[in-house]
Amino acid sequence: MVVPTADSSDETLAARAAAGDGHAFEEIVARYEGCVFRLACRLTSETDAPDVLQNTFLQVYRNLPSFRGESRFATWLYRIATNAALMLRRGRARKPAESLDAFMPQFDEHGVHVDLPAQLQIASRADELIDRQLLVEKARIGIARLPDVYRDAFVLRDLEEMSTTDVAQVLGVEPATVRQRVHRARLMLRGYLSDLAGGKR
Amino acid sequence: MNDISCGSGVELLMEYLEGVLPPEVNAGLEAHVAACERCTAFVASYRETPRILRSATTVELPADIQESLHVFLRRVQR
Repeated sequence: MVVPTADSSDETLAARAAAGDGHAFEEIVARYEGCVFRLACRLTSETDAPDVLQNTFLQVYRNLPSFRGESRFATWLYRIATNAALMLRRGRARKPAESLDAFMPQFDEHGVHVDLPAQLQIASRADELIDRQLLVEKARIGIARLPDVYRDAFVLRDLEEMSTTDVAQVLGVEPATVRQRVHRARLMLRGYLSDLAGGKR
Repeated sequence: MNDISCGSGVELLMEYLEGVLPPEVNAGLEAHVAACERCTAFVASYRETPRILRSATTVELPADIQESLHVFLRRVQR
């Protein structure tokens, strides 16, 4: 059977859904439910992700008539999903996360890396050196230990692979701020992976 | 002319990879990294970090959660 909506652009579907076409809305859900769930897990937890998922599509459904196509539909939807995740996280009493500062790279008084090349490259092979199940578990823990603003920028830019411009739009900050936050997150998580893989920072 | 150290070079990495550094700073950083084994190793691991964590956090939507979403949305649409 040919499903005529399968080739429609997101924007066409959004317009049809806004006009009350239930099938178009279902197609939007089918296209994005997996992505939204994954994003929600990365920004919150697997426990909270189902709530984020429902809230996101509820908001999408209600706000479709006001989608004007000023940004791409995907960016618009990601903004809604991100806000749904951040709202839920805000409602949670946050246990103070153990800082990742100890994993930042170290330099001597001349600005030279303290660690040797063999130690510095270990994080590159973290996925070969660490058991897969353990890595999955530790990755979740490490990301959750980031300060919130670093976590949000890192998740959107590096895990969801959005452009820096789109992340800036979603988070409502300047692209330079996004770069700075993603950079700090990468440095911390790089050192964290290195530590897990048996290297140093 | 090249006064970039490992420490100051690391601070430029994100902007370097995004292609937003001024050309002369860009060239200085590349020259430092090319001549520095430690930075070469560091840059490789800095670049791999997002890929490794992306792969480790790629989850599928479980069928039961998908089904609850659909039930919820059908109720909303009524």
